[in-house]
Amino acid sequence: MTPPLLELEDISKYYGNIIALTDVTTSVNAGEVTCVLGDNGAGKSTFIKILAGVHEPTEGTIKMNGETVSFTSPRASLDAGIATVYQDLAMVPMMSVWRNFFLGSEPTNGLRIDKKKAKALAKEEMSKMGIDIRDTEQPVGTLSGGERQSVAIARAVYFGAKVLILDEPTSALGVKQSGVVLKYIIAARDRGLGVIFITHNPHHAYPVGDRFMILNRGKSMGNFAKAELPRDELVRMMAGGAELDQLTHEIEQA
Amino acid sequence: MSDTAAATPTTDERLAYRSVFQRVFVRPEVGGMIGAIGIWTFFWAVSETFGTVGQTFGWLDIAATLGIMAVAVSMLMIGGEFDLSSGAMTGAMGMLIIYMVKETGETGGWGLPLVVAIPLSLAVALGIGYLNGYMVERTGQPSFIITLATFFALRGLKLGLAKREVQQIQMARTDEATDFDLFRPFFAAEWARNDHQFELRDFTFITLIVLAFAIVILGISELWFKRNESLKSAGLVQFLAGIVLGVAGGVAMHLTDGVAANIAAAAAIAVGVLVGVNGWASWRYEPIADRGKLEIREDLKRRLAIGVGLVVVGAIFAVIIDSSSKRDVFFPFTTQGIRAILFVGFVAAGLTVLAMASQGALSINPATKFAVTSIMALAVVFVALTIFVDSESAKFRAAFFSVVMFVALVLFAWATIVSRFTERRHPDRQSDRLGARMLVAAALLLAVGMATRLLFTIDAEILAGIPPAKTSVRLLWFFVFAAVLVWVLANTKFGSWTYAVGGNKEAARQVGVPAARTKTQLFMLVSFAAWLVGLLIAFRINSIQANVGDGEEFEFIIAAVVGGTLLTGGYGTAFGGAIGAVIMAMPLLGIAAARWNTDWRWLFIGVILALAVIANKFIRDKAEGIRR
Repeated sequence: MTPPLLELEDISKYYGNIIALTDVTTSVNAGEVTCVLGDNGAGKSTFIKILAGVHEPTEGTIKMNGETVSFTSPRASLDAGIATVYQDLAMVPMMSVWRNFFLGSEPTNGLRIDKKKAKALAKEEMSKMGIDIRDTEQPVGTLSGGERQSVAIARAVYFGAKVLILDEPTSALGVKQSGVVLKYIIAARDRGLGVIFITHNPHHAYPVGDRFMILNRGKSMGNFAKAELPRDELVRMMAGGAELDQLTHEIEQA
Repeated sequence: MSDTAAATPTTDERLAYRSVFQRVFVRPEVGGMIGAIGIWTFFWAVSETFGTVGQTFGWLDIAATLGIMAVAVSMLMIGGEFDLSSGAMTGAMGMLIIYMVKETGETGGWGLPLVVAIPLSLAVALGIGYLNGYMVERTGQPSFIITLATFFALRGLKLGLAKREVQQIQMARTDEATDFDLFRPFFAAEWARNDHQFELRDFTFITLIVLAFAIVILGISELWFKRNESLKSAGLVQFLAGIVLGVAGGVAMHLTDGVAANIAAAAAIAVGVLVGVNGWASWRYEPIADRGKLEIREDLKRRLAIGVGLVVVGAIFAVIIDSSSKRDVFFPFTTQGIRAILFVGFVAAGLTVLAMASQGALSINPATKFAVTSIMALAVVFVALTIFVDSESAKFRAAFFSVVMFVALVLFAWATIVSRFTERRHPDRQSDRLGARMLVAAALLLAVGMATRLLFTIDAEILAGIPPAKTSVRLLWFFVFAAVLVWVLANTKFGSWTYAVGGNKEAARQVGVPAARTKTQLFMLVSFAAWLVGLLIAFRINSIQANVGDGEEFEFIIAAVVGGTLLTGGYGTAFGGAIGAVIMAMPLLGIAAARWNTDWRWLFIGVILALAVIANKFIRDKAEGIRR
């Protein structure tokens, strides 16, 4: 059996005496979606930053295709094929869609950016993902939240990402827009990427996820395949399980 | 699904159509350009000498060094940073160069040849820029504070070292360099206008200007109207006939001298313009089938009355106030000044109301639009005649009268086509591109025409004893430097990254833009500009005071902001910085030319800055309104 595309083993991260993550283990295969669920403060941000190369883990190993790797900078992580789409979108709002799409890796013709090619490619690549953008000259700031996410996802796919990490892509979106973004997650998966989808919303995670890892207060509450975890159970675990039962009880009494 | 976008280059049907106004004004520097024209006209009108060649060279010369800095500072500000040391650095670099080339001795320098001193001082300049960038990146502190430190350090170094090394508060004698004469032409060559005669100058000038205006009208109509399915060759023939008639009129005007002949020639030009413009339009654009009936509604009637009324009131003021009186009424206005302000103010207000009426008439029907716009053209003719009858100075009677009459003609020509052809209501990339190119071509023709007019003299002028005027090679440095940076910003990775690090630095970093490096390079670009300016000053005045440049950093920042660059970064153009520099330079000479105390310049600049910020914000919101 081939090793998973990306594998994390017993990852821990301490900031001084603050323990942000302890012994987190999970993996993602090519063409699969691993959902990482957790409430605020569960350690999701730290988890992302480790994968994106912003922070190095204090303990534990990261393996890509079975080989141990270490990411010392965002660039290193990017070069290894891990693309991170942050909650704040990693977009420059006042720049046009095509400039954002190619930012940092502009196609050039000598010194000059090949604008014609860049615009055509941006439009084509996005339509391949099923994203229909009106005008690539439009500033990203004028797009809706869902459209912005989709541009970021299409960009990551185009630049040969093997693993796509999505940080709360649906948290700021309405119901319809969230659905659109979930569609793009599936599109990325179908193109053979391993997707790590970080969210606090089990209803968004469940339809697209193949595997679930739940974080609570810096600790992993285990990895589950979709088959072994019914939706209600996932919702219950996310909502704090026993804590929620307690809360329900208290509310009912009041 | 996948190949539809690639296969069809036409624009998406969901794109809302943006009006000509919105397409043009979305450019951040357009507000600045309008401001520059307005300020020039203002000083031209209130002073005797501002329009002369000598004065023009004067403010262009100031704009050159200011502009080199403003363009670089604009780029740095687009990149989201400030450099408060930029002003002090210009003087520091000049002093450094002089110190390097000054003869050795008791109070001397290093006696290096310029061929060594120039690259060496450049290295120092880039080093300071690098240090600024490095400190900002390393400490994460605002560049405002870091470069403030550099500013004071440089200021102290200039004064301290000058006193220590040459026992003076200035550094003198660039010309002690052994190879001074070799480098002089590059940094201090001058062009004496009276030594360059070109008898066809005025003909070239007028031809180019008229050509440029013609192309502007045609270019705007290309942006405005809906194209025909197929071109109609009859229109092309009419267009060419119009050109022939117009050119014939122009030549006749040039060759004849009598009043009757001139009127005939002017009539030929007018008919030529009307025939030509309409020919062009019927060649290319879709005619309106039903033009409707003239229908002046109540609100339109009121607007027309107010507009015409205001223009007439303006004219009455012009006539009743004695234009020859130079008496001060209250500071800073003379009788003449008040008359000019009342006249211009009322006329401008009146024409604005008429323009609004014309805009409103568009929604009624084409016939009404034609009538209202024609009334506006007539009002302009009335203004021209008022100027003609009531002015004493030749510049108003001849030059201004002709210009205003030409504007009226253009307006009427516009009325004829705007009421006959269909306005485009959908995006058309091809037309947009052609239209934009025509506007750029017109601007180039205009620039060449003006340059011809400025750089050459004719026999008649020399006989009349025109004072000599000189310009210098620093203007060329400015144009080349600005052109290169405009190109870099729009077309290269570095340009794209500059916008990115100013717009959202974290985002840029996350997708692999070397943000720290880009910012450091921008600081180095500013110090390069400061070095260039220092070099130009050193060659020009041969001795540099220790305080040269101190405090000018804010002028660079103001120039950038006036040119449409956002203080918060991520938005602006390099060209805007150049325009801003011109706006900043004009009052310096204009205020003196108007015989006001030059101290008022600061008030003037403060007002300009405030107005520019408001106007830029207004224009930006207006232009982007539909897309928000």
